[in-house]
Amino acid sequence: MRLLLTLVGAATAVLLAAGLYFGLVASPPDAFQGDYVRIMYVHVPSAFAAYLAAGTVFVASLLYLWRGRALYDHVAHSATELATLFTGLALAGGMIWGKPVWGTWWAWDARLVTTAMLFLIFAGALMVRELVEDRQRGARLAAVVGIIGALDVPLIHYSVVWFRTLHQAPSITRGEIKMAPPMVAALLVNLLAFAALYLYLLLQRVRLERLEAARSAGIEP
Amino acid sequence: MTAWRRAAALARKDLLLEWRGRETITAMAGLALLVVLLLGFVLGAEAARAPAILWVALLLAATLGVSRWTQAEVEQQALETLLLYPGSREHIYWGKWGALTLLLTVLLGLLLAAIGLLFNVDLWARFPLLLGAGLLGIAGLSAVGTLFAALLIPVRGRELLMPLLLLPVELPVLLGGVRLTEAILTGSPGGGLWLGVLAVFDILFLLVAPVLYTVVLEEA
Repeated sequence: MRLLLTLVGAATAVLLAAGLYFGLVASPPDAFQGDYVRIMYVHVPSAFAAYLAAGTVFVASLLYLWRGRALYDHVAHSATELATLFTGLALAGGMIWGKPVWGTWWAWDARLVTTAMLFLIFAGALMVRELVEDRQRGARLAAVVGIIGALDVPLIHYSVVWFRTLHQAPSITRGEIKMAPPMVAALLVNLLAFAALYLYLLLQRVRLERLEAARSAGIEP
Repeated sequence: MTAWRRAAALARKDLLLEWRGRETITAMAGLALLVVLLLGFVLGAEAARAPAILWVALLLAATLGVSRWTQAEVEQQALETLLLYPGSREHIYWGKWGALTLLLTVLLGLLLAAIGLLFNVDLWARFPLLLGAGLLGIAGLSAVGTLFAALLIPVRGRELLMPLLLLPVELPVLLGGVRLTEAILTGSPGGGLWLGVLAVFDILFLLVAPVLYTVVLEEA
């Protein structure tokens, strides 16, 4: 575990440094968006990490309810926290980017609304867990909320997209962005970096979770 | 006893309790009427706004009813007795779901009448279609609602948490219900897609929720 943590941590640090270089130095400013396009190199990867976390919540929750191993619950809990974190970051990044480029903080864009709903669902799952006296009982109930929430993600996404697009043309249309190769590289490196960051945070959080569980069971780790 | 009779007996018990007190339906109808009146006054009661206001009122009022849906079991300590009866616990889910669906359908009928009167919308000719669309939404609403009502039994401050959990999950029902009702009222195309969204939501959660319900009841 310790070796794995060091390896993933080192890879994350290298990838994040490369992501910073590609995002801030190697890629040119966008023809339409100028330097604001660089926010995308953080915003898109946060949303990507949020979806990775949502997928982890679903799989780990199912496994926990099925098999009942504490490790699956540690993963589900940690991933729920990270899903809340990364949906929050994606929302904040999207709004900061939206203000200069779209001219408004909140554009009622389908993806923004979906992300906000996901943020609330995962926050709800965390609250269910915290507000139950018995630890194991809270874990199983949070797993149920996690499964329902994750199953709902595609339904929420498509209903929000269709609700907007089939009714009225979007008032703000984004220009066709043909991406230059350095920009694609910046995006890809940052996607990879955030995936690694997510994995690293997940491993660290699971480790902490295990230590907490061991302490509350009265066993010296 | 067959599954059907167990579920029906449970639904009958819940509906009889509700009939004797009529507390939940009164509170839900009151809140729904308030939402319709407030939104209608603040936004302006144009017929085009009626579907959105109808569904927001239905969803908010349903949240109120759902969080009370296990009140009798909790207050009278009747849950233990209920769980001690032999047979599958999925039957308890179906009984609760059936009773909640019926209760919300009564609410929908009242709401449709209120909207028809207050918004000057001619919905009587399309009443069966509107009721059908509403039922499709209500089926999914109570599918998740029944599960969450049981899930929140051991959670502190469950009435506070219910809207927070239920409303984001029910978003597809709200959007689908609004667009389908619009399509029925104006005769515009596009209703088929939303019929599909509501149907997929219903089928998905009516398949998954009863299974998760048995997990939840073990923890209740």
